[in-house]
Amino acid sequence: MSLLQLKEATIRFGGLTAVNAVSFEIQPGQLFGLIGPNGAGKTTCFNLITGVYKPTSGDILFEGQPIAGTPPNKIASRGICRTFQNIRLFKSMSVLENVVTAGFLRHKTSLLSSLLYTPAVIKETKELEAEAMQLLKAVRLDHVAHVCSADLSYGMQRRLEIARAMATQPKLLLLDEPAAGMNPQEKQDLNGMVRNIREQFGLTVLLIEHDMRFVMSLCEQIVVLDHGQEIAQGGPDEIRNDPKVIAAYLGEPA
Amino acid sequence: MPIHSIPADIFLPIGGVELSTLPQQLVDGLLLGFIYALIALGYTMVYGVLKLINFAHGEVFMIGAYCALFTSWALGYIPNNTLGAGQWWMLIVMLVASMVGCGLLGMTIERFAYRPLRNQPRIASLITAIGLSLLLQYGGQIFLPLNQNIDSKINPAAGAFTIALGGGKSVDTATLKHTLEEKQAAFEEYLKRTKADPFNLDADGKKIRSEAQAAERDLKNAADTGKGTTLVIPYGKVIAMIATIFLMMGLTYLVMYTKRGRAMRAVSHDFDAASLMGINVNSIVTFTFLLGSVMAGAGAMMVATFYAGAKIDTFFGMVFGVKAFVAAVLGGIGNIPGAVLGGLLMGLTEGLVSWLGFTAYKDAVAFVVLIVVLLLRPGGLLGSAKVEKV
Amino acid sequence: MKGFWPVRLGSIGLAIAAAFLIDQLSKGNDFTQRLVVLAALYVTLAVSLNLINGITGQFSMGHAAFYMVGAYTAAISTLFHPELAAKNPLLWLFGMIIFGMVTAGIAGLLVGVPSLRLRGDYLAIVTLGFGEIVRIVANNVKFDTKGGSYGFSVDVHVTAVWLAWLFAFSAIAICRNLLSTARGLTFLAVREDETASLAMGVNVTQTKVTAFVIGAALAGGAGAILAHFEGFASSNMFTMDVSFIIVTMVVLGGTGSITGAVVAAVLLFFVPEKMRDLPDMPIGGITAFFILTGLAVAALRYVSQHYHGAASRKAMIYSGVVIGSVIVAAILGAALNAIPAVKLVPLVEGAKLRLVVFAVTLIVLMLLRPQGIFGKSEFSWDWFRRLGKKQEVATS
Repeated sequence: MSLLQLKEATIRFGGLTAVNAVSFEIQPGQLFGLIGPNGAGKTTCFNLITGVYKPTSGDILFEGQPIAGTPPNKIASRGICRTFQNIRLFKSMSVLENVVTAGFLRHKTSLLSSLLYTPAVIKETKELEAEAMQLLKAVRLDHVAHVCSADLSYGMQRRLEIARAMATQPKLLLLDEPAAGMNPQEKQDLNGMVRNIREQFGLTVLLIEHDMRFVMSLCEQIVVLDHGQEIAQGGPDEIRNDPKVIAAYLGEPA
Repeated sequence: MPIHSIPADIFLPIGGVELSTLPQQLVDGLLLGFIYALIALGYTMVYGVLKLINFAHGEVFMIGAYCALFTSWALGYIPNNTLGAGQWWMLIVMLVASMVGCGLLGMTIERFAYRPLRNQPRIASLITAIGLSLLLQYGGQIFLPLNQNIDSKINPAAGAFTIALGGGKSVDTATLKHTLEEKQAAFEEYLKRTKADPFNLDADGKKIRSEAQAAERDLKNAADTGKGTTLVIPYGKVIAMIATIFLMMGLTYLVMYTKRGRAMRAVSHDFDAASLMGINVNSIVTFTFLLGSVMAGAGAMMVATFYAGAKIDTFFGMVFGVKAFVAAVLGGIGNIPGAVLGGLLMGLTEGLVSWLGFTAYKDAVAFVVLIVVLLLRPGGLLGSAKVEKV
Repeated sequence: MKGFWPVRLGSIGLAIAAAFLIDQLSKGNDFTQRLVVLAALYVTLAVSLNLINGITGQFSMGHAAFYMVGAYTAAISTLFHPELAAKNPLLWLFGMIIFGMVTAGIAGLLVGVPSLRLRGDYLAIVTLGFGEIVRIVANNVKFDTKGGSYGFSVDVHVTAVWLAWLFAFSAIAICRNLLSTARGLTFLAVREDETASLAMGVNVTQTKVTAFVIGAALAGGAGAILAHFEGFASSNMFTMDVSFIIVTMVVLGGTGSITGAVVAAVLLFFVPEKMRDLPDMPIGGITAFFILTGLAVAALRYVSQHYHGAASRKAMIYSGVVIGSVIVAAILGAALNAIPAVKLVPLVEGAKLRLVVFAVTLIVLMLLRPQGIFGKSEFSWDWFRRLGKKQEVATS
């Protein structure tokens, strides 16, 4: 059974159809890419999957269950988590605190025990912190765990967003332009990091990216959007040579 | 001490509710609504360009009333004066004084209190606005004379329109009179017959007496209805309304058909883009505050002069300010026609509430309207909701 | 876990001891007692508002309403069951605190639910509106001849200073406890970025409402204590001005800092009280004070933005400006007072300056140091250890 399935998902904002009958399937464990020129509707797709928007028509199924229109926090507890195109870290918190906040999703203690600071809550907090440190190690940010997240460099902030999303123990991780603003060395590191995370935590990854080389070298399956519609789907080699894709990115030949 | 129960009349209106007083209340409310609209324009325009609720706007209004007061004093109408009726040019002078005074104050507030905080989170500006509002109210208590009235003699347009609304039903009072005489005769006859004590009647006696009383009441009611209702509209209020309409027309022309107005609209759509297009946003913002404050000043002068009984003190602005703010939100904050619509509706609502007898709750009504609007349709009647981009 | 129970019991013991110490120290002097109780109440109010405004980022401006709900709950209950109350006043007060917390908590729920949709300015106005509505309605509630605009007298007086302070310590403890847990971090997350919080699985709605309910409940408890201490509860004890005073405390302390709220509450609480007794002052002096404050603020702002020298020299310049302003104000004031026309103006009651001081504090704060005294930091034993050591930040 596919992990995530979009069936003719469509969303209209007034007169604008941002996403038009898009369909694709992601299998468990895949590294899946979502690409397309600017304004193609990629982030809107993410927003549909994560419940920020409700599709005007069509279905979205996760593990066979419909999730269209579910509120974002419920989507997270189902096992889908994301990073953001314009980084949305909790700026006043430290690196560790950012990750622990997301880890809270899997908590068990009650409000009252938090207010009373019972031993159970103290234990749980320590556990969450330990788990968070593991994640930070995986993205190589454990040495700055107590630094304020606003003070990190851009590349480090992006890695922190990934670690934070991981803390919700997702089955499907959505990365929105994770390599944006990185130099070639950083991109190579990120490539390795995403592969490692997939192995280590048994995840499935869906990512939006602009850098073609990055996507081709990382993703196993790719879907291409243009003006809200899906124009091609397949492996890296098929996509690279697809005339429609080339036309969408580079324009029609003269 | 024995407590019986929560008296049911906590929530009932005071006094009876009479249909005949409704038109007067509605007209009064509508006229007042024009003033609310004037003040609401200030709130809505400032919110449009800065996305800031100018809490201190009500206090600018208050200062406008004081400007009018002091001008009237300067013209000789100090307390206990012996002058005769005022002249039109005096009113013009007062109007100009209020408008200028408020305009200057508004621009100063913007320049020194809001502009430094433009890049801070909005909460900082909100807190400053509240602080300014408090400062003007309580600081004013120290420096300004309290509980003053503008001498009503200064208003050359004393007197009022009286419009007989008719609506009096032609009632056959003759028949009712006849019935009354019958019932009263019956009662007297009963008394004579049974030699009963009129203050200590038995059941029968009470019945006859109440019939007589009913007949008397019917006759009186009929006579009242026959009179019909009369509307009393003071000339001053009408002048205020006409002046307000002219001001709003002027403002609309300014905003829709001049270069400055276009710039204002651009800034309210997108502050940064407007500045990138070469618009001097600082100057436009100052201009917006100037316009709004001038409108408030005009409204203040009119309320202070034409609404006899308006006591001027430093809290005068709060009540008007709140209602005008609610009016702006009701119409759609940032929307100029909305402010006018909202103002008129608030005025009518207030008239309605007064008519129903809930005068004690008049001020709470504004807050209730506000909460209802913000919960059901935050964009207001003429406004639109915005979607945040993720 | 190592050392949990000793530390926990130790701090509880310390709190109880401190509460009783304050109680003993203030016994015998009615005036001091009143100040001490009010201090505790304002600390509770500031800390509880800080939970809503500072920690969860919901700008609530009608906190006095929750205070009032608690007070009125106690007053009306005592009105209906005077014999029960008189039998064991202290126990009754405990009960009233709990009851007041419940009713105020419900009020917090009613305010919290609409808050879900509103942001920033609008939320502030709505909470202000709720506060006023509650006050105006309470103003018209009558039972036979009691109540209405005269308020309710609470015939069972309880002067338990230690209880007021224990309640304040509990409020502080509850907030600090919350912030030491992962759950507390979710409240901060809601303040920082609601969209990101939602994406990380935080139930933003529930968090906001929880903050409102807890904050309101704490204020309600304080209200019950106030009602029984003053022996009176009327709606003009809970006007918008009281809400603004509490907001000023939270902002002065640093929105988000529990320590800040406590310090600011203690610094500011006696201002409304003490200022009632100020002597009458000449208007020339007051004018001079205003003018010089304005100029000093402008000067300080200019220095903070344009001077890029050493921090120590900057501090010297700041002090210079402040001292200079005070001197010039004194001279200007004396000069103005000497003008015959000014001499004719009657002296101003000192009490009128109460709210002016708050207003000026708010404005000056926003212009010079919007983050308040403590910003977002909290008191911790770490401070002493970190004095003098520089922090290194890795850049890769």
